[in-house]
Amino acid sequence: MATLRDSLGSLVADVDGLFLFSPSASVYERFDDSGVTRVVIAAENGVEADAFVELPLGFENVRDRIKFGVEGAMERGFVAEGDMVVCSLSMFGDDADSLVRVRVDESMRSGIYDLFIDSRAEPGVVRDVFEVAIDLGKKGQKGKPVGALFVVGDAGKVMNKSRPLSYNPFEKSHVHVGDPIVNVMLKEFSRLDGAFVVSDSGKIVSAYRYLEPSAEGVDIPKGLGARHMAGGAITRDTNAIAIVLSESDGMVRAFKGGDLILEIDPEEY
Amino acid sequence: MQGGTVRAVLSAVPLRFWLAVTTLALGVVFGWMVRIITGRLLRRAGVPSATEGTTFERTAREFGTSTVAILAVIAGYFIFGIAVFAAIAVAEIEYVAQFWNAVAGFLPQLFLAVIVVIVGVVLGDKVELVVSERFRGVKLPQANVLPLVAKYSVFYLAALIALGQVGVATGALIVLLAAYVFALVFLGGLAFRQLLSAGAVGAYLLLHQPYTIGDEIQVGEIRGIVQEMDLFVTHVEADDEEYILPNSRVFADGFARVRS
Repeated sequence: MATLRDSLGSLVADVDGLFLFSPSASVYERFDDSGVTRVVIAAENGVEADAFVELPLGFENVRDRIKFGVEGAMERGFVAEGDMVVCSLSMFGDDADSLVRVRVDESMRSGIYDLFIDSRAEPGVVRDVFEVAIDLGKKGQKGKPVGALFVVGDAGKVMNKSRPLSYNPFEKSHVHVGDPIVNVMLKEFSRLDGAFVVSDSGKIVSAYRYLEPSAEGVDIPKGLGARHMAGGAITRDTNAIAIVLSESDGMVRAFKGGDLILEIDPEEY
Repeated sequence: MQGGTVRAVLSAVPLRFWLAVTTLALGVVFGWMVRIITGRLLRRAGVPSATEGTTFERTAREFGTSTVAILAVIAGYFIFGIAVFAAIAVAEIEYVAQFWNAVAGFLPQLFLAVIVVIVGVVLGDKVELVVSERFRGVKLPQANVLPLVAKYSVFYLAALIALGQVGVATGALIVLLAAYVFALVFLGGLAFRQLLSAGAVGAYLLLHQPYTIGDEIQVGEIRGIVQEMDLFVTHVEADDEEYILPNSRVFADGFARVRS
């Protein structure tokens, strides 16, 4: 077995950082003397690690999870460009079962971390909207797939770049995404067309908004419909982000600055 | 005859003594029942989860018991104690009764005082936990004082009530408490004046929403689009700046809604 260990040892040779995704305390302590930078990427800092990146969603897609972690660590200065890091994460079970060796460079910057942390809206709000969209995508409306468009943050500008399609059911209400009632409400309101506008602090400002951004220069993948186009375009005109649930393929996509940043399949959650 | 001697002994014991023994036995049974019922009620009321993490609970755990168990035991002994006094009264033991009557008047208060102390200690710990949880985000050494102040305020109140129960003169302590409360109200009012007036206006603004997110408004010199409004502040975004206005300012200056 020594030969197998030797040849696999190259995987962890000369690394500058060790990324532990959701480690338990005992796993974290095991690397106390490893002499490399330990970065913990998890939903919460249960092991009191110094270098910690909060994971807002438990990305099922491993590539997204790693990209988020690497981007977050770069942003916070735990690792620098050109560093070689090893990620220990779980792909199938709850315990870490895989090692991934990646080089930190600019191409790792997919904007996923930026989408959650550096958007105008608070990170918790972005996460809540994602969860609502994923939930809506999973269950649909009475078993039928639905589409929905959430525009999050910079609500004042968004409201000025859109017009109402109907009476706003959220007028003079104080409903925030993340409130327990919201999932049911949004499910009902998603039957009608138009966008939901959510403010920086998570207040649902309006439903049934018809977005009127200028779609010039918006480059979204071909084949996506008007909902994605409107969502992508409004993020170019304002500082908002758009989270779109596709009616046709059931995917949740996030746009920022007119670009498609993240694609999630609700069925995997 | 064997039976004859037993009967003779039985009849030699006066009736009231039997009554006293029965009272005592009933007291034991009642006390036991009260103990079990109190335990169940407290558990049903969610006391175990409420006391979790407090120092008192942790200490109780070290001795293999819990806050709920302790309170239940105290309630049980209280009933048993009453039964003991009832038994003594029924048995009409003269000299003992005279001494114990004084104690009997005092005992309920003592029990109450013990319960107040326990509740106070648990509540104080809980308040400390809740307040420090609230200030967890603020990593300032000064913020650590607040949970302690809250905790000892609750301790102080509990001690005061307990001492009052057992009849210790607490006049000076009450004066101290009055001074403390006055300082709290007066200084608090002074410190939170701005927040209070902003909050009062904010309540009106949120209820009636004379303007809402997306409207363009002008407050004094400031003109821009409303981005966010909560109880205390309104975020107004102009081209280059985002102004965060206290709601009281919106009322003091009045506002204009700009028609687009």
